[in-house]
Amino acid sequence: MLHGLRALTSLAPTLPNPPFTMLAARTSAVRSASRVARNFATVVDTAGVKVAAVDNGEATSSVTFLVKAGSRFENKPGVAHALQNFAFKSTSKRSGLATIRAAELYGGILSSALSREHLALTAEFLRGDEEYFVDVLSSFITSAKFTRHELFESVAPVCASESIAAASNPATRAVELAHGLAFRSGLGAPLLATEHGHVDVDTVKSYASSVFGKGNIAVLGTGISQEALTKLVEKSLGSLSTSAAPSASPSSYYGGETRVDAHGGAETVFIGFGTTGTPSTELAVLAAHLNPQPSVKWSESTSPIAGIPIGASVQPVYLPYSDATLFGLLVQAETTEGVKAAGKIAVAALKDASNIKAEDLKKAVAKAKFAAASLVDSRSGIVSVLGSKVLAGASASVTGSISALDKVDASALARATSTLLKAKPTYIAVGDIKTLPYADELGL
Amino acid sequence: MFGPLGPSLAPTIKANRGLYKIIKPFAGWYADLMGYRRMGLKYDDLLVEERPDVQRALGRLTDKEQYDRTFRFRRASQASILHADLPKSQWLKPEEDTRYLTPHVESVVEEDSERQVWDTLAVERKK
Repeated sequence: MLHGLRALTSLAPTLPNPPFTMLAARTSAVRSASRVARNFATVVDTAGVKVAAVDNGEATSSVTFLVKAGSRFENKPGVAHALQNFAFKSTSKRSGLATIRAAELYGGILSSALSREHLALTAEFLRGDEEYFVDVLSSFITSAKFTRHELFESVAPVCASESIAAASNPATRAVELAHGLAFRSGLGAPLLATEHGHVDVDTVKSYASSVFGKGNIAVLGTGISQEALTKLVEKSLGSLSTSAAPSASPSSYYGGETRVDAHGGAETVFIGFGTTGTPSTELAVLAAHLNPQPSVKWSESTSPIAGIPIGASVQPVYLPYSDATLFGLLVQAETTEGVKAAGKIAVAALKDASNIKAEDLKKAVAKAKFAAASLVDSRSGIVSVLGSKVLAGASASVTGSISALDKVDASALARATSTLLKAKPTYIAVGDIKTLPYADELGL
Repeated sequence: MFGPLGPSLAPTIKANRGLYKIIKPFAGWYADLMGYRRMGLKYDDLLVEERPDVQRALGRLTDKEQYDRTFRFRRASQASILHADLPKSQWLKPEEDTRYLTPHVESVVEEDSERQVWDTLAVERKK
């Protein structure tokens, strides 16, 4: 699943921080990051479907069908989540059981992931089995049955348990609530179905037919040649109808404050700010600047948030979407006092970020560049970073976004920070709401 | 053949148009003669339900179908207590005698046999 928590963990990669004597070597490595970044083959338009593949000689291949069908586009809450869990169920070509058993015999892995904007259907398999697995993915797109009994017997229980698991995690819950308050509709729609939400088969069916169309699907492959993938996609998706992209009104940012009672988890506060428009690189640098995760285990980071009490944690949250960004700090601690102390430090650091020192900026830029470059090394990272670019038909590589990070200077960062802080904050408290601090108590 | 639906010649007869035309009036007459329609029941209500596969099929009925089935059973058992057929206005009309459960039973049986095939599959290495 690509929901909140996954997004958070990917935001805080452990960064290599070699000893001081190796600093020279490290900076040169950072400088060449733009050169070694993995490049995708150019995006090919195959019968209306965008296809991009890169083959770096891996032992296994993976193919991802990325559909613009995230929760943002759903017309009824929970439909996107139900559609995600309908993946690999019965189609007119083969039953759900046959899909699973044959995938097991081939030794492949089938998975589906949902984010606010995209639905990703992924198959990972040994080289040479691409014909079967591309057929599995495309038959879901072209001829899924969406039977009522599958919804009730296997899809709905999985949806329910995923929502319960997400709701019991205070961090995920806070970020979910933050989206709702920050963007209200569209991006603010809940990612997962609510526990008692009623989604019927016809709604899922009509949603699927509205999103499964040419121009709304991109195919990304790794460990597979562009020609082979193009040929397979042409064969399997050639007859797919062309459908208009699902309508999504442009996002606008609202902000607000809410407090939700919860127990059992860590006391959590989310302090967020949103911007609209294409995500700016300055916020990625700001997130890297504030990230208090040390680059070496058991050491203390030099981030301005480093002084938080022991047992408390602050995670910068940087969630860029196609036309908006949610930036924030997730403050967690065992006790509400810890949250209050850490929150005060975090807010002070965020406000002080516009006076960033030149060397801190350099460090932050390097951190952000590493995070952006290393994301493309993993398969899920490739999909989340390059997927939207492939869908848009733009050149699919990260070199552009990495070199853009280099151009961030102190004045640009200060400008971005001050416009960010001018907006109304999104403040979420999850946990013991009687004692968790209010927004003004943290200095917002 | 030995599924929950029992042995049937119906598919063979239906496939042959001439035979179907001859048999159909008798089949309709015979179904009426059985008397279940006089109790307000449908043919699918008579399927043996004490089997796991039919139970699964019953779970796939919509709420409305399930409610209607229960209603017919209660009405029929009341008629049985009274040792009388229902009043004629409440008899089930032949066109209402739809197979609402059979398709579900068939799909469950098909799934079970498919599972059986996959469970007992002999895998051969590709040459």
